[in-house]
Amino acid sequence: MTDFSLLNSDMQQRLLAYIESRQAFAPNTHGFDELLNASGKIRAQWQPVLEELSKLDREALRSRCEEAQNLLHENGVTFNTYEDDPGQLRSWQLDSLPYVLSTEDWEHLERGLMQRSRLLEAIAEDLYGPRTLISGGLLPAELIHTFPSYLLPVVSDQPLRRPMLILHGTDVIRNASGEWEVLCDWTQSPSGAGYALENRITLARAFPNQYREAPLKRLAGFLQAQHRALAALSTSQRDQPNIVLLSPGPGSPGYFEHAWLANYMNFSLVEGADLVVRDGQVAMRTLGGLRQVDVIVRHINDPWCDPLELRGDSLLGVPGLMQAARDGEVEIANALGTGILENPALAAYLDEICQQLLGEPLIIKHRTTLWAGNDEQLAEILTSPEEWLFRDITEPAKVIRPEKLDDGELLELLDKLQETPWRFVAQAKLKAATSPTYNTRTDTFEARNVNLRFFSLIEPDHLFIESADRRYRIMPGGLAWVGEPGTLLMESRTVKDIWVMAPVPQPHISMLRQANGPIVMTRDGTDLACRVADSLFWMGRYGERLDIRSRLLRETLGRFLQEDQSAEESGLLPDLFTALEIQFPDLPEVDEVTDVDDPLRHKQLYLSYRNRLLELFEENHPDGMPWLFNHFLRNCRSVRDHLGDDAWRTVNNLRQRFNDMPRTQGIIVGQRQLEGVVTHLAAFFGLCNETMPHHYGWRFLDIGRFIERVLCTLELLKLALLTARQPGIPLFEVVLATTDNFTVYRRRYRSQLHPSAILDLLLFDETNPRSVGYILKRLERQIQRLPQPTNSPYRNLESRLVIQATSALHLVDIDTLSQIETSAESREVLSELLDQLIQPLSELTNAISHSHFSHVEAPVQLVTMQS
Amino acid sequence: MKYHLRHTTRYDYSSDVTLSHNEARLLPRDLPWQQVVDAELTIDPQPIRLRERLDFFGNRVSYFTIQELHSSLEVTLNSKITTLPRQLPPKNLNISWNDAVEVIKSDRSVGNLLQDARLMMLDSDFIRSHPALAEYAGTAFRKGRPIVEAIQAFNQQIFTDFTYDPEHTTIATPVLDVLNSRRGVCQDFAHLAIGCLRSIGLPARYVSGYMETLPPPGQQKLQGADATHAWLAVGIPGWGWLEIDPTNGTLPDERYLTLGWGRDFADVTPLKGVMNGGGKDLLSVAVDVTPLSDKHLLELF
Repeated sequence: MTDFSLLNSDMQQRLLAYIESRQAFAPNTHGFDELLNASGKIRAQWQPVLEELSKLDREALRSRCEEAQNLLHENGVTFNTYEDDPGQLRSWQLDSLPYVLSTEDWEHLERGLMQRSRLLEAIAEDLYGPRTLISGGLLPAELIHTFPSYLLPVVSDQPLRRPMLILHGTDVIRNASGEWEVLCDWTQSPSGAGYALENRITLARAFPNQYREAPLKRLAGFLQAQHRALAALSTSQRDQPNIVLLSPGPGSPGYFEHAWLANYMNFSLVEGADLVVRDGQVAMRTLGGLRQVDVIVRHINDPWCDPLELRGDSLLGVPGLMQAARDGEVEIANALGTGILENPALAAYLDEICQQLLGEPLIIKHRTTLWAGNDEQLAEILTSPEEWLFRDITEPAKVIRPEKLDDGELLELLDKLQETPWRFVAQAKLKAATSPTYNTRTDTFEARNVNLRFFSLIEPDHLFIESADRRYRIMPGGLAWVGEPGTLLMESRTVKDIWVMAPVPQPHISMLRQANGPIVMTRDGTDLACRVADSLFWMGRYGERLDIRSRLLRETLGRFLQEDQSAEESGLLPDLFTALEIQFPDLPEVDEVTDVDDPLRHKQLYLSYRNRLLELFEENHPDGMPWLFNHFLRNCRSVRDHLGDDAWRTVNNLRQRFNDMPRTQGIIVGQRQLEGVVTHLAAFFGLCNETMPHHYGWRFLDIGRFIERVLCTLELLKLALLTARQPGIPLFEVVLATTDNFTVYRRRYRSQLHPSAILDLLLFDETNPRSVGYILKRLERQIQRLPQPTNSPYRNLESRLVIQATSALHLVDIDTLSQIETSAESREVLSELLDQLIQPLSELTNAISHSHFSHVEAPVQLVTMQS
Repeated sequence: MKYHLRHTTRYDYSSDVTLSHNEARLLPRDLPWQQVVDAELTIDPQPIRLRERLDFFGNRVSYFTIQELHSSLEVTLNSKITTLPRQLPPKNLNISWNDAVEVIKSDRSVGNLLQDARLMMLDSDFIRSHPALAEYAGTAFRKGRPIVEAIQAFNQQIFTDFTYDPEHTTIATPVLDVLNSRRGVCQDFAHLAIGCLRSIGLPARYVSGYMETLPPPGQQKLQGADATHAWLAVGIPGWGWLEIDPTNGTLPDERYLTLGWGRDFADVTPLKGVMNGGGKDLLSVAVDVTPLSDKHLLELF
């Protein structure tokens, strides 16, 4: 029955099983299948793909799939959901089977998608210009005005200089009858193009032969064209326009892609607070002052872009941005206001609009949609409401499924449909075609529904020509994800690459990651955004703290295991608990019944210590290890585009380690976990030192680390030499191990541990990178080399603080100090010295952030009232 | 009537402001019954950029930026305005209000008046339709009552039922709270009336402006004693917009000077801004609406 003969036996088996699974997935239907045609033959476009895959035996295929998965994870491909929830970070599976499109299908789709972009652009230009769609009676005003992204301040009678829609994403499915249907459009900042390319790179690396042999269209040219189009938008006469990508920040879904795109396209990744409108122009706050921005690729939704003219409660936007755009001082892609095209109610009129604006029929139909604001359409909806899915166009992201509502909720929906019908659309439920996905675990092909996203781009050379002559180009590929029709990309577990088959083999463009345009020299590094400097600083501080804490906790766990359980009074644990800043459990009362040596009591004590320590591995423990890591990670993410790929890989490895950490059950497992953390952090900071240019960014990172290190060291010394309940050699050992100085100590002093030798090593020895003396020198040098905002001849506060600490260290009476073991006076001197060091150094962070980081307070709204 | 209008808004800040972006809707618009001459904004400190445009509703918007360090901002409007009596609906306009609602509902493609009107029927930032508002309007809007009569009765109803109380409300007091407490200022009453009208299916828009006030008999009028004012207009199909002032229970006449209109206060805020710094602010407003006799005019020119 089939032409499976060119395939290996494994592949043949998979195909046979696939036929069965289709039956199980969609019994009694003979819906369209992407892989097999109606007579059960493999569709032509799949033949070469399967043949290539068939060259791999079962084991090879499995290992390639795993390789693809690992590559994806290591690169941190993820749609993060919200902040501080590392366990919840979603990484998806990349299906090793691509979604394969034949040349004929593609040509049809391409034509339809090109038309759709032209149509949407024409709608936007009309709705923000002459508004003939409304005044001519085709579109009811309430359909437009109810939608939150229709921005009245954008409406203007001035002719547009350039298209509003630069990049456009369209979600499409193939329905069970084999026809294409559009589900929705993404017209503000379509996401996913970066993922599509990342998926392609991943598959190309994991399946080099299959990828090279397949006659498929390549993607890289599209992203290059995107860069050209964005650069061409700039009105400035500069050769190298300053293009920034405006993101809501690391807490937003899709931040990975923002960082990825910024990196790939060589844009600065900025948040609203990094930008300011001055002299009518948009500028970016950098360490070297303000730097003018020419083009903004915005990934913030319309209503949030400018708190002056749009939503006043927006903290993401830039005050004055709309006016700057209106004056042509900055170009925004896509233009503000294009969100109106995402209004799901437009679909109800799309055929007529297409006829009216373009004078041609719509090529790809839109999913059947009714708008309740129209009486006849409302009547149709009300005859069988359960057959539709509903959306409130004021909250278009939410789907209301009548079958999921109880009677009361259903009545409420029906009431709302009658009271404010214009707010609701009804969308047809869809049946989609089936598509094969590869299940690595069971080594089978499974039939699933797939959603597709395609991307259109204005032809870069068409930006400034007559709008009737403009054309869009479609990325020959895209992003596919598994799920019922209409499943959100972020809710899917599995994504697929889309392969568009070309009639002839395509030249392989090996420059997938090549640079775009001329190289810009920014050797001085003053164009670093202040916010990035801030995050690098805190990444350093939290990373260092995590490192020191991990060492200290590791030592504590070690002591805990060694310690003689009966000798509780002489134990080091209370001091170590103090060092870890956790509360020592209250000892159970010793009374006549329970003896001090009662084994039961010991057991109780043991357990309560153990629990206290293991709590530090738990997710929500404030100041616990995962908590510290989250802070570290948050800062890493906001500087994602400044970290090398290898450094980022170590962050991801750490992240996976921390995902497992809350399940840490025992002391020994805990110790091992911490050792891993210490090594990974060392690798991370090592890579930062090796790969980051030693510019301002790196200096801030370094300053952050060393401030944390010096403060922790000073606190430890204070504890070990002055305030400990049980001072002595065991505690000194912990101090040396925590600061990783044990070996150095032994080599240098070849003796038992002496407090004065420890002081020498940890305070004064300027050749020891862990000593206070060394750190102060390093801080002083780094701070001197930071950009100086003013030309004042005086030293700034941060330099003065370091000098203050350094002098205290240099001027201390060393002779008296060396008597530390015996003399009370000596202890006094030490105590005073440590305080003199701790005080200025703890003020250092504030001083630095005051001089260098943008501390833009949240802008304040001002309004008057009428009486 | 001829007036000299002067409106000063002053903010004093507790700490310095480094940068502020502002939008003023303080330049009065020209209307068939209102002629605006020499309208001028004086801004202190000097703005770095000043741009004027018309907004969606045709109001005049001035955008300005101040970049020098400042601890106070003063914006003054000076203008001369000549007003004429407004047109009132003809006596023979006796369409009932509920028929008017039907006309608006069914007729999609009629001229510009109704397109604007559709927008003025939808929920806006400060005003959301609600059954309680419809119920309150029901007293005046009895089925079959001629629309103009019903609107006037409704205007009186709010004037009688509500107490003017500047202490009671803030800029963000929801319309339903105003309805329950029966207290508020002109902005609240205008919002409330608009909410009621929209809830029964009539279009209504918010009007921002000034009113000439008269000193108590026998006394001199005090400087700066006038105030900004707000009222509303109701869309009557086939005719136009009828203005009413529920705060005073009157129909606006020549003593009412119009700045602009919108869906609610948010569309016509006289002065708003976003600034960096500033700390706490202290606001003072002074308005003078001074009638000019012809003799005055001669002296001025």
